[in-house]
Amino acid sequence: MTRRKRMLADLEEDIRDHLERETQDNIDRGMSTEEARYAALRKFGNVTRVKEETWKVWSVEWIEQLLQDLRFGVRTMWRSPGLTVAAVMAIALGVGINVGIFSVLNGLALRLLPVPHAAGLLSVNQVFHFHRQPDRLIHNDASWFSYSEYLNYREHNHVFSGLVAYEPYLEATLRNGAARQVLGTAASCNYFEVLMEHPALGRGFVNSDCATAGRSAVVVLSDSLWRSAFGANPSLVGEQVVLNRTPFTVVGIAGPGFAGTEPIPSAFWVPVTMQEALEPGINRLASDNMSWLAVLGRLRRGVTMQQVHADLAVIAARVDQLHPGRATSLVIRTATFFSSPDQRQYLIPVATVVLIAFALVLLIACANVANLLLARASVRQREIAVRLSMGAGRWRLVRQLLTESLLLSITGGALGSVIAFGSFNWITRLVTSHLPHDFPPIAVNVGPDLRVLAYALLLSVVTGVVFGLIPALRSARADLNNSMKVGGTLGSPARKSGRFLLNTLVGSQVAVCMVLLIATGLLLRGLYHAQNVDPGFEIKGVATTFLNLERQGYDQAHATQFMRRFQEQIRAIPGATEVAQAECAPLSHDFSASQFTVQSDGDTVFIEYNHVSPDFFSLVDIPILRGHSFSPDETSETHGIIVTESTARRLWPDQNPLGKVLREPSGREDWVIGVAKDAQVAHLGESTSNYLYFPAGPQQDTRSYVLVRYATNFTDVAKSIRDVAHSIDPGVSIDVTTLDDYLEVWRAPARIVAALSGTLSALALLLCSIGVYGMVSYSVSRAVHDIGIRMALGADGVDIARHVLWQALRPVLIGGVLGVGLSAAVSGVLTSLMFGLGAHDPIAFVSVPLFLLTVALVATFIPARRAMKVDPIIALRCE
Amino acid sequence: MSTKEQQERIELLQGTLDLLILRTLKLGPMHGHAIAKAIEFRSDEVLQVEQGSLYPALHRLINRRWISVSEGTSENNRRAKFYALTARGRKQLTVETGKWDKLARAIAQILSPGEQEEA
Repeated sequence: MTRRKRMLADLEEDIRDHLERETQDNIDRGMSTEEARYAALRKFGNVTRVKEETWKVWSVEWIEQLLQDLRFGVRTMWRSPGLTVAAVMAIALGVGINVGIFSVLNGLALRLLPVPHAAGLLSVNQVFHFHRQPDRLIHNDASWFSYSEYLNYREHNHVFSGLVAYEPYLEATLRNGAARQVLGTAASCNYFEVLMEHPALGRGFVNSDCATAGRSAVVVLSDSLWRSAFGANPSLVGEQVVLNRTPFTVVGIAGPGFAGTEPIPSAFWVPVTMQEALEPGINRLASDNMSWLAVLGRLRRGVTMQQVHADLAVIAARVDQLHPGRATSLVIRTATFFSSPDQRQYLIPVATVVLIAFALVLLIACANVANLLLARASVRQREIAVRLSMGAGRWRLVRQLLTESLLLSITGGALGSVIAFGSFNWITRLVTSHLPHDFPPIAVNVGPDLRVLAYALLLSVVTGVVFGLIPALRSARADLNNSMKVGGTLGSPARKSGRFLLNTLVGSQVAVCMVLLIATGLLLRGLYHAQNVDPGFEIKGVATTFLNLERQGYDQAHATQFMRRFQEQIRAIPGATEVAQAECAPLSHDFSASQFTVQSDGDTVFIEYNHVSPDFFSLVDIPILRGHSFSPDETSETHGIIVTESTARRLWPDQNPLGKVLREPSGREDWVIGVAKDAQVAHLGESTSNYLYFPAGPQQDTRSYVLVRYATNFTDVAKSIRDVAHSIDPGVSIDVTTLDDYLEVWRAPARIVAALSGTLSALALLLCSIGVYGMVSYSVSRAVHDIGIRMALGADGVDIARHVLWQALRPVLIGGVLGVGLSAAVSGVLTSLMFGLGAHDPIAFVSVPLFLLTVALVATFIPARRAMKVDPIIALRCE
Repeated sequence: MSTKEQQERIELLQGTLDLLILRTLKLGPMHGHAIAKAIEFRSDEVLQVEQGSLYPALHRLINRRWISVSEGTSENNRRAKFYALTARGRKQLTVETGKWDKLARAIAQILSPGEQEEA
């Protein structure tokens, strides 16, 4: 028994004992038994109060008061179910969407990697500072490592028990049964050991697998590839599978839960030394100056981050000595998806914008609930005044009111979070339905973890305080004298400041809502714009297929042979009118660019380029304005190039561009033989940047797009194209789409964001109109008396309605103007993220405010009509 | 009890009950009723202590470890709780008495400045 319990257990007995003694004393003094007992009780005072006060000595007061407040809060909520449901729903909505989006971000960038003991895995990245022209080659991510750099860190560090390197997103064609494209990983041979992901069947890699480049053709397959392509055949280990043209021996099947350490699952793993077998012609291992390997280290037990930084910095300095003109700083953090500074640089601003947009909706919800509570607070003013005049402390009262609002917000937050966790499937479907069809699946765990739960709780508490504090403080400041009188609130100063508060809340709601709506308006306008954009070339009716024959194991001679036959046979397809070849198909997100030196003045310029066959220009209908197009016998060996008109104008203003010379970094010189019309062939919405065309040659055959203009329907043509490819090589993997599809990819970000922000603004608008409606009905119901008097004095319904409308619309107008101003200020951020947005698109900036104003008018009109119908006799008799 | 008698009695100032209990217990361990009686008796029955308020005060003092409590047998052989001053309580009594004296002097000085000047 605690001291407290022991002390209190005897209290009752002590008091009885005390009373008996006193009674006895009184009897001794000559009182009758009855009289003596009453006298003793009188002298003792209120027994219950004495007990309570004694208990209080031993109780932790705030806990008991909290329980008391909670009990009272629940009772209050129960008594006004309408208000409770409205408030809880508003908060559930606001908190729910915020928790939902946070879970996604958490899954994307905050969660540890899905491997055992992930907290001990560090991601190591390099940030280079170049003293002169950067000369780093980049494959996938600028902050990754070359193989020799990786080996340097692996051999010389003292802080990791193991350091792995891997190249993710290796495309390969699996040639067992029907050819299929898979994404895999080339990994250092300690990969499975350091990640503690021992394959479920067979073995992982051993050191000898990585000893000699190109020697050990072994592969570990993912569980899902093993199941989908090989029917989970247990005797597959030891068998051979063909990736591209190289046969690999299956040595293991990875555990069912393991799909690599990138958001896009890996289907297979090969030793890093087999890289060239999968990417023929590119020997990344030998390049000391290429970023292509992501590096993860498993921290040695007991080593601190400071030690890691100090130890690796020494190695970085040593590596820098091999590369004069550059200084490396390392970015080391606990490994998650998107660990590299390069990726975070993009992710963080986007995440911030998204989180802010979602938080704004929560803010509107808060304002709504605050409004509701304020309205109720004025109903409860008498209750509160009574408590205050009976001696309740103001702070105590504020605490009680805050407890009530926290109760509301946490209930709402819990409900919202549960709904959010339940609705992920729906959101995922929404997002993926807007992604291009060949977009790889993403393995991101969006389930709730401690961090998400903490965020949900924090959000709920902050919400509760935000919407609860103002009404609570105001109530506790109540003017006792006035509130106690019946109807005493009329015309009192408290009422005036209350109206100001209500107006401020509604005004800010409208402002926030306006920002969201205008953002959506801009996005929708951008989308519309993108849908109707004229790219400057004929994008309709063109089938396109990308053939990376090199990846599929072709050498250049075979590739050229394949390409020639392929194009010849396509020409024979009924319905195919033109065929052309291009290194980068228009708008395919495939870019090539280089520095060129302009011979006439020695300037270096950055120019994007493309290698195209002669038919390209006529196929996509880009006219040659001066000079002539390539002739069929021109290849990359010849020196003629075609520039766009803007490029010509920029490089040789007011001169004839024909015959002008550009020097490539290799020293090779090319001269202009033609000028093509500007078109948005590389970036949608951008036609005037520097761009030039080289003639396509055999070098391009290993990796090239084939464009086919067709006159019939796409499905037939696509089937014929595939049939042609398979008739030449049954094992070739080919995917046929249209140029239009590429356009979809450009629109996808705007479309996803527009869908999300559209949903958000619809919610915001709903909440906002409820807010305006609530405020107006509330003030009308409070002003019935005033209206009655006005009517009695001769005002007619229209006057009253005009008055009510004006009163209500003033905060709406002020908020609206503020919102428009705010949007104008922040729309620059949006435009930088999304294609095709005009930052000050007049249509969005005019129509959205008008729309919001209309909604506000409707929301106001309903209660205003009620005000018109006030019967002065009834209104005044109410008093 | 006549009305006149009641008017002569003085309500206890807040906080002074603790001091009175400590002072009373300086005479030796006592049970609750005896403490109440002693205070009444020693103040010539001028101080009106609502006897019930003794108990929260006793518990407060126990909680602060200024007094201790033990089971015992009273003068008429009844089982009772005896409260006794602890060492800390004794120290506290000195402090509190000092404070009280100061307060009393100060108030007296304000209420009758003339007498003080004469003295």
